[in-house]
Amino acid sequence: MDALFRPDGEWQRLGDVAVVSHRVSSLVLNLLASIGLLVGAWILTSGDLVWVGAAAVAAVAWTAWRVIRIGRWIRSFGFREGERDLLITHGLWYKSLTAIPYGRMLSVEVTTGPVSRLWGLADVQLITASHRSNAQIPALRATDAARLRDHLIALGEKQALPL
Amino acid sequence: MIDPPLDGVQAPEPAPAHSADPAAVPPPAALPEPKRTERPHPLTPLIRGWVVSLALIIGLGREILGWFTESRPLPPLQLLLGGIGGIAVIAVLVGLASWLATRFVIDADELRIESGILLRKSQRIAFDKVTSIDVLQPLAARIFALAELEIDIGSSERVKLRYLTRARSYSLRDYLLSRAHSHQAELVQAEDPGLRLGDLSAEDEVLVQIPPQRLLVGAVTSNEFIGLLITIIITVTAAAVVSPYFGGPVLVLALGVSAISGIGGFVVRRLTGQFNFTLSSRPAGLRISRGLTSLTSQSLPPRRIQLVRLSQSLWWRRFGWYRAEIDVLGMGMRNEEDTHASVSSVLLPVADHAQMRLVLARIWPEADWESIQLHPAPFRARWLHPVAGPFLGLGHDGLLVVSRHGWLERRWDLVPHARIQSVRIDQGPISRKLGLADLAFHTAGSRLHPHAYGLDANHVLERQDELIMLAQAHRPDITLASATGPAVPADQPGPEALRADQAEATISATE
Repeated sequence: MDALFRPDGEWQRLGDVAVVSHRVSSLVLNLLASIGLLVGAWILTSGDLVWVGAAAVAAVAWTAWRVIRIGRWIRSFGFREGERDLLITHGLWYKSLTAIPYGRMLSVEVTTGPVSRLWGLADVQLITASHRSNAQIPALRATDAARLRDHLIALGEKQALPL
Repeated sequence: MIDPPLDGVQAPEPAPAHSADPAAVPPPAALPEPKRTERPHPLTPLIRGWVVSLALIIGLGREILGWFTESRPLPPLQLLLGGIGGIAVIAVLVGLASWLATRFVIDADELRIESGILLRKSQRIAFDKVTSIDVLQPLAARIFALAELEIDIGSSERVKLRYLTRARSYSLRDYLLSRAHSHQAELVQAEDPGLRLGDLSAEDEVLVQIPPQRLLVGAVTSNEFIGLLITIIITVTAAAVVSPYFGGPVLVLALGVSAISGIGGFVVRRLTGQFNFTLSSRPAGLRISRGLTSLTSQSLPPRRIQLVRLSQSLWWRRFGWYRAEIDVLGMGMRNEEDTHASVSSVLLPVADHAQMRLVLARIWPEADWESIQLHPAPFRARWLHPVAGPFLGLGHDGLLVVSRHGWLERRWDLVPHARIQSVRIDQGPISRKLGLADLAFHTAGSRLHPHAYGLDANHVLERQDELIMLAQAHRPDITLASATGPAVPADQPGPEALRADQAEATISATE
């Protein structure tokens, strides 16, 4: 059933840098959350080692799971610049395929946060008149992101559809 | 009734607003004369104080009812009345101060509103940014023949001018509306239309009028009403069972009273909010007027309608009645309950089949949703959608996408291709096992989310290109009857020109 979410064409994927950067962010965030959880468990059970140990095991298992999953999720991500629309697909359990005609784009945003800037990455977000379109391509190399933005804007201007 | 003189005219000479065409006589730039500014009507603080006191009395009344059921001693009456009176006086004083601080200018050059006691605010609005104008008449203001002017400039907060005389409100609305259409207009003194239950003029062609009996029957056969009734029956029964051990009969009584007031309130809200619901057609578009205690009328340019959702409660299926809701681009849409004097999303509260078709034909003249062949969801979709399963379906023609869904309330989402911003295919883990897929259509509206569930994944795969292309408009405008040809080449008329053309038709006004 993969063809349902990946119709034929030239699909672009996110690079290894994206996978690594998302794994590292996920690891850091989940470890911080785990520490919070352990401290909470320590206080609530007033230092009962059985409970704290159980919480620690759960936290580590969860962190490992998230780190593996986020990598696979990034690998599942793909986008295709079609003739008239941009296709975006992603998801492991919940798969989705979004089609945004170039003519519907109002603007294209490139954003970077302090962490993704360290990796030289940027997100590209397509804005349509619907706030539910939610068309975001995460973790592209900054130069690629800028190129994609200019390309999409040019296509959008050429094919603009009336609102 | 005659327009009372407006207070707070600063300029010494009266300078009537409708004296000259502003296009013909440009204002002398060299002499910065003191602007003629206006204040809202002097009764404003009184009305706002009254509104505050009313809210207070209702709030306190609820509290006191609560005391009765808890059998607590009441505070002395003098204290209560004194408290209410004191707060009312304070409210009037605050209202007076804010009235003194509020001034506005609406003339050929500018629309400017100054307000605020401590934080002075001067707001200047570009005429062409005005997207809709409402004249609201809440009950308290209505008594004094006053009205509130609400200006929507597309931001989250609406600009309010309250309260003005009704005639002044209407003339300002007409003036701002024509300025928003970038015409040079003159400010004409409008006649006070007087106290009316409807809002119809000679150019209106009434399409649908919903009699109150239909509203009443519609309200008591709606799913909301039945749900309310079932909840009440369960709670009261439970209370009756528990009461011998806990609380006694007072508990049942208290619950019963609040239940009856709740259910009565629901019916009364539906009735008064939609009272005398009239949908009429004007050259500029459709117009809805409704309301018993406060008359609301809103105009509805068909081009702004993003989608129509028809729905039918359990009982309405038998009567063949439909409710039609719309999602509109950029209008400060408020709650669904459409009871307050505000813009609402209800196109038809309770309509029969013929009325529904008539109105849809006015919005999208060439589209006929009932002739569209729907592909039903496969039998295995009932594992995921046990009740809705047989009803689910999706179909489309050259103009509309129709999705059928809903279990207690049957719904038809009608979305024109030209309004779809993007399309998404979804599949969760269970759907994948069953070979199903869902579709979502993203529109510019914010309230209704059209989607289609439980479709056959193979079918979706086969028609994938077609479905993805649904978001591509085949025709620039579905709201026009005149066929301009099936596909306008995207580069020839210039899409920007098209957008600019349409900008005007998307301005709406409400009175």
